[in-house]
Amino acid sequence: MTFQIVLNMIIALIWMFLSESYTLITFLFGYIIGILLLTLLHRFLPGKFYIKPVYKIIVLCLIFIRELILSNLEIVKFVYRKKNNFEPGIFALPIEVKKDWEITLLANLITLTPGTLTVAVSEDNTKLFIHAMHIDDIEDSINDIKNTFEKAIMEVTK
Amino acid sequence: MSAVLEWTEVILHYTTLLCLIGLAVSLVLLIYRIVVGPSNPDRAASLDVIGVCVMATAAISSILLVTTKLNDVILLIGILSFIGTLALAKYIEMGVIIERDAD
Amino acid sequence: MLISIIMNLIIILLLLFGTFFIFSSALGIIRFPGVFTRLHAATKAPTLGIISILLAAFLFLYGSHELVSGKLLLAILFIFLSSPVGGHMLSRAAHKSGVKPYLRHREDEYEEYLSSKQEQLNK
Repeated sequence: MTFQIVLNMIIALIWMFLSESYTLITFLFGYIIGILLLTLLHRFLPGKFYIKPVYKIIVLCLIFIRELILSNLEIVKFVYRKKNNFEPGIFALPIEVKKDWEITLLANLITLTPGTLTVAVSEDNTKLFIHAMHIDDIEDSINDIKNTFEKAIMEVTK
Repeated sequence: MSAVLEWTEVILHYTTLLCLIGLAVSLVLLIYRIVVGPSNPDRAASLDVIGVCVMATAAISSILLVTTKLNDVILLIGILSFIGTLALAKYIEMGVIIERDAD
Repeated sequence: MLISIIMNLIIILLLLFGTFFIFSSALGIIRFPGVFTRLHAATKAPTLGIISILLAAFLFLYGSHELVSGKLLLAILFIFLSSPVGGHMLSRAAHKSGVKPYLRHREDEYEEYLSSKQEQLNK
């Protein structure tokens, strides 16, 4: 894996020397060419292909941004509605991820989901306590959290 | 073509002024919540949003004044407001900010 | 020429969008009942607002000074990561300091968890 990144850097450097312009743009262009070459030829190199985890991380970032925009639209809808019937409540969600930074990431993602806010983590790191705007229709958000976010985070760490 | 460009620049100038007015109104609303706010966590939350408002004001001023000198200011206001929110949250939670005998 | 016209239009749209979100967050802090619903308004809406305003400033500086400002990008990343953490800390502090919610919570499993912990300690 490290060997592949070093090889990619070397390809980018050689591209800089070949095109005789030593700027950041040329380096990035050479790096993209290196990625293309490695996608063609990674079968002949030792170790796993390093683009796959990077791709998973990019997918996670895209999920983050989508949830951010959706929850903002939801909040704005709540603000400009004339009469709100909130039924707030706090429920517990058992989680499967173990490490500290994974739990932090999951808590941040839940805070950015529409209508939910993380309140606390239990002391043995097995439950998250989540505040919901409408306690009745939380089934969808629980399914979202379980199937989308936790799976994406687990795929990054695997 | 250049007339259109001048038009867009004039509209941009007035848009920045409009945005400054909107941010000022929201600052007044937040200060109302700080003064009235029934509990301390309300006040802390609106202080957090005031930090965001000040960052936005600095960014819009950098557009209005056509300068790059305000970039450091924006980054520093963001960091300081985050640290201030954390300190306030710890103070509200247990009355101390720095625990000497943390586990 | 055409590129700078389009850039100006994008900057105008981003500025209006960001100001709208920050303003509606302030309005939500005024209007919502109870601490936790106010925290919903305080953590989510300003994030997108400040991100779009900082993007507008970034595009404007790129157009006027030919400068790719790394500090603004770092500020965007920092806000993106720090705003949910602040909301989480504030909500836990609000719950532990025993603020009476304006609306009664229909369910509060965290309260039950804390009281069961307390009973175990007392035993």
